Amino acid sequence: MAEKVLLIDDEVEFLEALSERMEIRGMDVTTAENASAAVSAINSGDFDAIVLDLQMPDMNGIDMLKIIRKTNPDMQVILLTGQATLEAGIQAMKLGAMDFMEKPADIDALTDKIKKAQAKKMVIVEKKTEKKVNDILKSKGW
Amino acid sequence: MSRTQCEPREGLRFFGRISASVSHEIKNVFAVINEAAGLIEDFTLMAGRGVPLQPERLKSAANSIQGQIKRGDAIVRNMNAFAHSTDEDVREVNLVEALRLAADLTARFADMRQIRLTVGESEPASMVACPFDLTRLLHSSIVAAFDSMQPGDTLAVSVSPYGGGASFSLSVPGKDAPLKNDEPFAELARAMNARVEVDEKTGTSQLLLADKGAPA
Repeated sequence: MAEKVLLIDDEVEFLEALSERMEIRGMDVTTAENASAAVSAINSGDFDAIVLDLQMPDMNGIDMLKIIRKTNPDMQVILLTGQATLEAGIQAMKLGAMDFMEKPADIDALTDKIKKAQAKKMVIVEKKTEKKVNDILKSKGW
Repeated sequence: MSRTQCEPREGLRFFGRISASVSHEIKNVFAVINEAAGLIEDFTLMAGRGVPLQPERLKSAANSIQGQIKRGDAIVRNMNAFAHSTDEDVREVNLVEALRLAADLTARFADMRQIRLTVGESEPASMVACPFDLTRLLHSSIVAAFDSMQPGDTLAVSVSPYGGGASFSLSVPGKDAPLKNDEPFAELARAMNARVEVDEKTGTSQLLLADKGAPA
């Protein structure tokens, strides 16, 4: 099944090239150039992973991450940044980012992380489904 | 103007802040080049598997790389000029070039606040100054002006000779003067014999730099 990925970065040429490379690798990619476009995309699509730039003009990645975690706590977020400071990395992981990568990124490493994100998300979905089924069985008393 | 007596640590912090911003910009340039080159590699691998090469897609990726090399070259040229601003304590400085350099080095700070920074028509002006401290003063005044601005605003800066020294003008079209005083960089302004004046009629802030020995 194709991984559904949202790619958020204010560098348009970077977005275009990376999204094309991901599509070549069989992924279903949506792009957003700013935070407001990203929020719209998150609200309207169900993604396996979000690849997020740490520094954007209208909102920094940490604030964006907080919003994502608030609305989609199970969302798998990979931070991609040209400014891989240890502090930002630690803060991002504390806030629940799945991973933190430095630009320029290796496409194979990034693809691998996205596949892991999809697998992790599927496990979370399965657990939720299992819980729902158990709750139904308990309530029905079968 | 003699060598300034500012806290050296502040100067070092400024050098660090600009270096960090420049290195971040260069990283972004490398990131685009990396993906465009990777895309060309992907196309060749696909061609090896029988997928026909599309010349326009190759051309677009190559153009992206060329454009980013130009962008990177401009960034490095500015960084080089900035690094060399520490070569001499004082020298004759072309103020139009100094303002352009300060604006270029501050452009990313403007982008992060979604502010457009433009260097307007300037009159030829030069004076004896400490190039590093002048860059710091201009950057500090531009960043201080950002604090009174909104995303989407444009800050226009220019320079002209003024009583043996120079006047750097800062204005936001259609809005009040963006810089009311030198409070955010008072120590540096004092050390450099500079002061801020506001013309409410034209909505312009003037950063006035007195000639060596003249009162600010």
